[in-house]
Amino acid sequence: MSPVNTNAFDPPKAGPWVAIGWLSFAFFVFTQVFAVMTSPADAMMGHLQKMMYVHVPAAWVTFLAFGIVLVASLYFLMKEDERADLLAASAAEVGSLFCGLTLVLGMLWGRPTWNVWWSWDARLTSTLVLFLIFVGYLALRSFVEDPQRRGQWSAAVGILGAINVPIVWMSVRWWRTLHQIQSNPRGLSPEYLRGLLLNVAAFTLLCIWFIQRRYVAARYERAAEHASQAAALGGNDE
Amino acid sequence: MNSATVSGGIEYVVASYVITWVVLGVMLVRIVGSVRRARAEYDQARTGGFRT
Amino acid sequence: MAFRDDMRRTRAIVWKDLTTERRSKAGFNSVAALGITILVLFGFALGPDGAMLKAAAAGALWLAVLFAGVLAFNRSYQVELEGGALEALLLYPGARWAIFAGKLIANLIFVTAMLVIVVAVGIVLFQVRIPAQWPSLIGIMMLGVIGIVALGTFYAAMSSRSRAREVLLPLLLYPMLIPVLLASMEATKAFLIGDVMNATGAWVQMLSLFDVIFLVATFLAFEYVIEV
Repeated sequence: MSPVNTNAFDPPKAGPWVAIGWLSFAFFVFTQVFAVMTSPADAMMGHLQKMMYVHVPAAWVTFLAFGIVLVASLYFLMKEDERADLLAASAAEVGSLFCGLTLVLGMLWGRPTWNVWWSWDARLTSTLVLFLIFVGYLALRSFVEDPQRRGQWSAAVGILGAINVPIVWMSVRWWRTLHQIQSNPRGLSPEYLRGLLLNVAAFTLLCIWFIQRRYVAARYERAAEHASQAAALGGNDE
Repeated sequence: MNSATVSGGIEYVVASYVITWVVLGVMLVRIVGSVRRARAEYDQARTGGFRT
Repeated sequence: MAFRDDMRRTRAIVWKDLTTERRSKAGFNSVAALGITILVLFGFALGPDGAMLKAAAAGALWLAVLFAGVLAFNRSYQVELEGGALEALLLYPGARWAIFAGKLIANLIFVTAMLVIVVAVGIVLFQVRIPAQWPSLIGIMMLGVIGIVALGTFYAAMSSRSRAREVLLPLLLYPMLIPVLLASMEATKAFLIGDVMNATGAWVQMLSLFDVIFLVATFLAFEYVIEV
């Protein structure tokens, strides 16, 4: 049916992923509580500073997920291994959720600090564009049935989207410089940095775990499709 | 960046944590559910019956 | 040698597409009319105030070109798909990029022709005074059109062959076009209402850079998109 590497048809191997999931969530709860408890109120932003421990890690894993989409898409186009396509799709699904979360948290931060829900600065705007590209990527996948075609098309969309995001960032930054609005945030003092890094680590673990689970689900779906096809053809496929 | 909000704004902090936890919790439930469904589907397909 | 053959293929595709368009002018006429309609609607949205219209003219022009142009991109493959000719085109020997180049140039000519009409009407409707450096303005418009057409032709190769192509093409294309549109709008605006920030040069450089990046990326990726 398709010339792709067929090892995507086997069911995924089991691993210690259930335990990793529990550990990730426990670690996440710990870092959240730890960061909120230990960070003193900031001189300028007061308690609003504490939003950093959810907003910044969410933004980081968004870009991590999109990085995985990019790498997996490139790998798929080079090696035609369908597993890479399924990985890219899983990363895009998880990434789009984190991207939406980042945007909402950014707005919740912007409202009390800048007195507006939205400011057209480079980071906010390019994150929104990234979200739209994620949405387009997932929409394309849902509108195309043939696995080979879906894989190649969405890989192309993912790669071009990844090229586009830094370009958007650059052009919006230049656009905003001309219109002169916001200043840059200051450097971060160490008592905040520790909590931030811990939360970044926890979010990264969670994100990787989510992607891995989605990937396993996608592999089972493909394996099921293949198995029922084989059964329909007389079961002599194995 | 004239910050008139040195104090207060605590409701935004609470809201952001609540939203984060709810989103992550819903993701957890849905993703675990999707793995379970896909695995059941695979087992059914492998043991004979056609997919419904 | 092979390169020359591919150039000949490109020319043949351009010629074929343009001939199809010329034979049935209905397609071009409707797209151009749609561009003008969009300009009129922008006029109503922005109100009758002359200064306001002038300030928004650049943005309205580019969006009108974009919204009308999107229809052209899907059309350029759809005609082929309906005739079952795309498979035949792919069966011919030669590089895939020749097909993309042919489609791209044909679309470029189509959209440029539409742009001429839309800009002419826009100058009247939005009470724009034609600037003294109008040849540079034409250059900017060409750079903007190249960016829009390169990405539009590329994404239409996918969307035109999928379900829900009407919504899929804009959904994929518009976010990708943000840098090109932003640079084109700002550069055009600087020409039309005065370059206060002295930034036109930078915008033009950025626009050229974006064109090069997206042209290279779409040419490289087209092979993977067309063959399945």
